[in-house]
Amino acid sequence: MDVLQYAWLIPVFPFIAFMLISLMPKRTLGWEDGWGYAIAGAGGALVLSFLVIWEVVNGNTLTLDAPRTTWLIIGSYEVTFGIWIDALAALMLLVVSVVGTLVVVYSGGYMHEEGETRRRYYAEIMLFISVMYGLVIADNYIQMFIFWELVGLCSYLLIGFWYQKPSAASAAKRAFIVTRVGDIMFMAGIIILFKYVGNLDFARLFEDGATSTVPGDMMILATALIFGGAIGKSAQFPLHEWLPDAMEGPTTVSALIHAATMVKAGVYLVARTYPLLVQTPESLLFVAVIGGVTALIAATCALAADDIKRVLAYSTISQLGYMILGLGAGGYLVIHSLDPNGYTAATFHLMNHAFFKALLFLCAGSVIHAVGTNDMRLMGGLRKHMKITSTTMLIGALAIAGIPPLSGFWSKDEVLAAVYHAGDLDPTFLLLWVLGIATAFMTAFYMFRMWFMTFAGEARSDYHAHESPKIMTIPLILLAGLAITSGFALFAGDGFKALMEGPIEDLPDVGPIVSGHESASDIAVEIFTDPLTYVSLVLAVVGILLAYRIYYLPGFDRSVFARGITGKFQRALENRWYISKFYDDFAYKVWYGFSLVCDAFDRRVIDGAVNGFSYLGANTGGVLRKAQSGNVQRYASLIIVGIVVLLALLLFVVPWGGW
Amino acid sequence: MIPIEYWLIFSSLLLAIGIYGVMTRRNAIVVLMSIEIMLNAANINLVAFSSYYSSLHPDLGTDATGQAFALFSIAIAAAEVAVGLAILLSVYRRYQTIDVDKINILRW
Repeated sequence: MDVLQYAWLIPVFPFIAFMLISLMPKRTLGWEDGWGYAIAGAGGALVLSFLVIWEVVNGNTLTLDAPRTTWLIIGSYEVTFGIWIDALAALMLLVVSVVGTLVVVYSGGYMHEEGETRRRYYAEIMLFISVMYGLVIADNYIQMFIFWELVGLCSYLLIGFWYQKPSAASAAKRAFIVTRVGDIMFMAGIIILFKYVGNLDFARLFEDGATSTVPGDMMILATALIFGGAIGKSAQFPLHEWLPDAMEGPTTVSALIHAATMVKAGVYLVARTYPLLVQTPESLLFVAVIGGVTALIAATCALAADDIKRVLAYSTISQLGYMILGLGAGGYLVIHSLDPNGYTAATFHLMNHAFFKALLFLCAGSVIHAVGTNDMRLMGGLRKHMKITSTTMLIGALAIAGIPPLSGFWSKDEVLAAVYHAGDLDPTFLLLWVLGIATAFMTAFYMFRMWFMTFAGEARSDYHAHESPKIMTIPLILLAGLAITSGFALFAGDGFKALMEGPIEDLPDVGPIVSGHESASDIAVEIFTDPLTYVSLVLAVVGILLAYRIYYLPGFDRSVFARGITGKFQRALENRWYISKFYDDFAYKVWYGFSLVCDAFDRRVIDGAVNGFSYLGANTGGVLRKAQSGNVQRYASLIIVGIVVLLALLLFVVPWGGW
Repeated sequence: MIPIEYWLIFSSLLLAIGIYGVMTRRNAIVVLMSIEIMLNAANINLVAFSSYYSSLHPDLGTDATGQAFALFSIAIAAAEVAVGLAILLSVYRRYQTIDVDKINILRW
């Protein structure tokens, strides 16, 4: 039995769980308000995903001849629902299944006090995971777009899970509206493709010469617009501000959004659109610049954040920026028939980031669960009370900081190397490489700032912290194990790179790619003989030591941050470079003013016209009814006057007029 | 034979008298009488033109169509007066007046 044929069942498991949790009568639901069904749904998808991944690792894919079913027919184009399983989809399946399942398990402990509302929580989580699977295995842009929107809907529902809090309700709306800007761009992009190609199946679009009917400018526009979808979904600059606000949801939801679903969808979209992107170097450069700028801006914002989840949110944006930057640089390398390092590195970073970021968020959840606040200024000294959480979070922080041999080191180094090599082709990439290196330094600094503020030193407020229950610590330990080991996928078997080159090995209009790596030992030698590796490593270590000096050792006067130039800088960072404020001002002043004008137009002009006609009728009637006096003699007089006038007309005017 | 113009002037005068009566008198009975005068003006016209038509076409013999219509008209006028007087009677019973200026409730 070919298990790949049944990959379409993966989203079905969580969807059935969603249906059961939401439709079962309250009395029969039982077992912690649906947690059991959620575990079963996520677990079923996990098992099937692993079977599919195993097939893909063994070199089987299912792309062109996958089973499809026609959904509707538009002209000569059949919109189908099908599956498209290659190494990229398998990678996403791995991420979604592992992180999703562990988050559901962890939720059993984290959401324990929520009572009845957990039912809604589990139902929404299951739908979220289900539609993310659907997005990952989609075989055409329309199917992808449908699930893309559903992912946005689920994130809205979950960010606003505590909708009684006004801040949560507004954060949910913000996430929905801001990502919608990207969704519109995505839709515009696929509409352009459909207009010129008449087909949106990957099988057709990724053929040689499929896009020859698209004019050059339109192709650039289409690929840039599709990337615009990723800007919204993956919280890239300038649409990144919704993600830090999305911290209003439960921490488990943040873990899911940041590590597995939602924001990874944008990176996945860019990676999936690679065959089109490599036809337009301009768009690739745009992709890379957005990625690099986002990485830097988000990292600077994380430096001054005091909310533990906000630090992690900005670090997510920053790491997503790395992935996007890597994809952009990788595309440049592919165009020039060089080793497609960026693509493999970015997807590798996507996987590693999923594990260590899920770990970091679930650790933060554990901390918040124990302390009851998000504010790091009120924490401190938790290491003594929460040994497992503090150790696993340290592992996560080391991984994201890029300390070997943890996973973050390998992928971040690969991304930066790819960007540096792309610098030979376009000097812009050298600049982006500098941004990337600076980001690596800041990442190490703010992650350890967070760790020291939370776990080291003395308690800065009154709380009775205790370690979380096993149902929460076991997922942490599993994820910590993955955060340590997932980087070694680079060396397992034929190597991660060889596998990930599969989806792009024969790109249209570019030809077969040139693979530069033969064996695992070659990769290791290349990494450790490259001076660039040591540049980023030294910077990361310096960042950690700096955080250690400022936030751990006594004697550093932190009030220096509040004075003079550094004070201004600090305030700019605390206000997130005023980007959020800019959007608020834009909304309140410009858009609200425009809305007032529209409102006035509606009330005065449109309503005025309607009311005016009714007044006209009423007033005319009011005047004319006076003629109806009831006096018969006046009627008779009027009739006679009318007859006389008619006769006069007939006798004098009509002959005179020549009629 | 009296020329047709004389008849027409006579009937116009009768019509004018009738109109004047309808427009000026307050008493509904007199208004009704004035309407009868206007009707008779029309009857005279019918008879006059009937006679004039026969004199224009002697070869056709006497055509009495107009005169017959005048007879119909007189009969209908009689019926109309009966109906009109009946209405006035009930108006009088209801309002104790037949002053047309006062009978004006059929209005806005």
